[in-house]
Amino acid sequence: MTTTVDSSTDSRPLSGTWPARSAAGLLALAGLVASVLLGWRQGDWSVFFRSYILNYCFVLSLALGGLFFVMLQHLTRAGWSVALRRLAEFVAATIPVLAILFLPLLIPVLTGMAGVYIWTNPDAVQHDPVLQGKAAYLNAPFFIVRCAFYFALWTLLARYFLKRSLQQDATGDPALTLRMQWWSAPGMLLYALTTTFFAIDVLMSLNPHWYSTIWGVYFFSGNVVGFFALLAVLAYLLQRAGRLTQSVTVEHYHDVGKLAFAFVVFWAYIAFSQYMLIWYGNIPEETVWFRPRQGDTWWVGVSLLLLFGHFVAPFLALISRYPKRRKAPLALAAVWLLFMHWLDLYYLVGPQPAAPGQTIAALHATDVTLFIGLGGLFAFVLLRLMSRYTLLPARDPRLAESLAFENV
Amino acid sequence: MNTKEPKVEGRLQALLAEFDSVGALVTAAERVRDAGYTRWDTHSPFPVHGIDQAMGVRRTRLPWLVFIFGLIGCATGLLLQWWTNATGALDFGWLPTFLQGYDFLISGKPRFSLPANIPVIFEVTVLFAALATFLGMLAMNSLPWHHNRLFGSARFKRVTADRFFVCIDAADPKFDAQGTAQLLAALGPTHVEPLADLPSPARWPHGLVVAGMVIASLALLPPLFAAKARLSKSPLPRIQPIQDMGNQERYKTQQANFAFADTRAMRPQVPGTIARGDPLDDPHFYEGKVDGQWVKTFPPQVQVTQSSVRRGQQRFNIYCSPCHGLGGAGDGIVSARALRLDTPGWVQPTALVGDLVRDRENGNIFNTITHGLRTMPPYGDQIPPADRWAIIAYIRALQLSQSVQRADVPRDQWPEER
Repeated sequence: MTTTVDSSTDSRPLSGTWPARSAAGLLALAGLVASVLLGWRQGDWSVFFRSYILNYCFVLSLALGGLFFVMLQHLTRAGWSVALRRLAEFVAATIPVLAILFLPLLIPVLTGMAGVYIWTNPDAVQHDPVLQGKAAYLNAPFFIVRCAFYFALWTLLARYFLKRSLQQDATGDPALTLRMQWWSAPGMLLYALTTTFFAIDVLMSLNPHWYSTIWGVYFFSGNVVGFFALLAVLAYLLQRAGRLTQSVTVEHYHDVGKLAFAFVVFWAYIAFSQYMLIWYGNIPEETVWFRPRQGDTWWVGVSLLLLFGHFVAPFLALISRYPKRRKAPLALAAVWLLFMHWLDLYYLVGPQPAAPGQTIAALHATDVTLFIGLGGLFAFVLLRLMSRYTLLPARDPRLAESLAFENV
Repeated sequence: MNTKEPKVEGRLQALLAEFDSVGALVTAAERVRDAGYTRWDTHSPFPVHGIDQAMGVRRTRLPWLVFIFGLIGCATGLLLQWWTNATGALDFGWLPTFLQGYDFLISGKPRFSLPANIPVIFEVTVLFAALATFLGMLAMNSLPWHHNRLFGSARFKRVTADRFFVCIDAADPKFDAQGTAQLLAALGPTHVEPLADLPSPARWPHGLVVAGMVIASLALLPPLFAAKARLSKSPLPRIQPIQDMGNQERYKTQQANFAFADTRAMRPQVPGTIARGDPLDDPHFYEGKVDGQWVKTFPPQVQVTQSSVRRGQQRFNIYCSPCHGLGGAGDGIVSARALRLDTPGWVQPTALVGDLVRDRENGNIFNTITHGLRTMPPYGDQIPPADRWAIIAYIRALQLSQSVQRADVPRDQWPEER
């Protein structure tokens, strides 16, 4: 078994990506322009911004999943994953760009758009004792301060782990591995807190009367499912492009498949924990959240599709060893999981009544155009990173272990 | 290296080849595999990556077993909960009582509620899958063995330190004492050793057998106690190992509770509260009154039929007969006992078949059952209104039975002439 890789060819940065990059860039531009035009034509910008929250959270969740993966590998001193870790570092390194893309969301917050975050609207708060009670936390200045902190921290962590790793490519200093390992512990702790509060601030506060204490974990579990799916797809596409063919083996796919399977189950576990307690307690102030999701045929369909598509089908599809060790079936399952992860966020964001008493529309055109816009931008940034840096931490002290890795 | 037929005391059981490196072991395994042997094994101090392929070991079928048992566990968990809670209201009376389901209404949920059942289904699935993994692994490896013939070899002791072994069983169809020994010798072992029958037959250690018997005997005690408790009666109060429900901390009436602004543990009823079953809009049915007068009739929703009178008879025999007597003559066993003991102040219960009650309006009797009269306690909270009306119908039947003419009874129901 070979433990050395000709990194000069196998893991060199992607070249000739300009067609793909321009395609992604054009898609991003077209999607964003179309969305703005649609929002402008609708007159009601709250629909646009809710679609923006949905798709923004989708791309951000993948990046957060990547950051989690990088820190987890350092924290556990994992050997198997070194061949894949650079890809996760790239995914996490999109966070600085995503932080800028968060800025448009300040418009509804600062203008008090009731159809997006009703707690930002002074008139609505004035007549609502619950919102008055929560105003100490749910107010625009504090929201902005918190979000600034989250993005500053994530940017810091993502850049730190990518930079140290690239530094090791140049120097081969094993002490860098120990430093990253040391920082991964407090990083993970802060990551857990910030991801939880981000989920509460940006997603749960869409319905500020309602609360769930498992919300942050729910958001996190979906992020990680999405990230592992993305990782499988990235590895598959890179190998089709002739990169990482020697270093990433079927054993790595097998492990990514196992982790995707595990987090699919974890997601279902968390989602059901939230559902069962609310179902059992049967208190109106809690069941109100599930009411629109089960009261309308379209959203019942989405809920059932999530149950079967985000849990039952991938559970049965990934439980066996066979599909996890076949690249194409695994990539196919991964694309499906990415779609399901998007649908999960759609399920979280979509059915919130834009304003009290307003009817809930099923699917807006901006849900799709902003997916194309933000997804294209995300792909553009990833392609840029992959064509700039080596695709493998070539001088990581545990690389040999990763290359020789075999599932027993 | 000696390639003659190996010399051994007793019958030849196996050939054991010793190697000093993991590489030699893997190469040897590949050669033995290629030679077509099936009953053989390798031994090493640590897990060796790739030894499965080198030995040609087929992938284990254990995952399938685990999956199937997981599904069985899933179905068992579902069936268990469906049976215990969703079938209590169904007609399974022909089953012995301890096999019938319960009919518990919990939090107003449907008797068969999938969300409530999922945690148990999940646990049972995991339990079955875990047991199938553990027991299936043991069974597929023919474990546990308390002894192995390899322990008879002094060299084999180094398998836990720095030596690697290939052992080919004499029962292998390809086994040929001389040929196999030659094959092994050609693999570059440090030694090849024939293994014979062990001098002492493998026996369970004495202490282990005794300990096992003691544990097995002790394990019989709990079911024996349970069986004894089931089959015997005791005047002593039952034992409550966990005192959570029988004796719980609680506020008594008139105590203070500072959780409330008025510091009273007893909470006043919410204004506008009415008790369940309170008369609302049908005084005829709920009070036996129409326009403030006792009714003589039955309410329209009460049909006096043979079955409703039978229902009344059954309720009467349960609630009324202990005092009023089965025939309604005011001679029930409570009264009979009180008279026998000369209880001071005892008033004999009214004879329901006498003129007094015969002339009393239905509504008045209904009122008496509901609220009681003199020493008779109220039964309104125990007997639902429809049953009270059924009891009245039965009392009327009792009264009729005391003044019936022969002509009123169909000929075929006359008692035997004496």
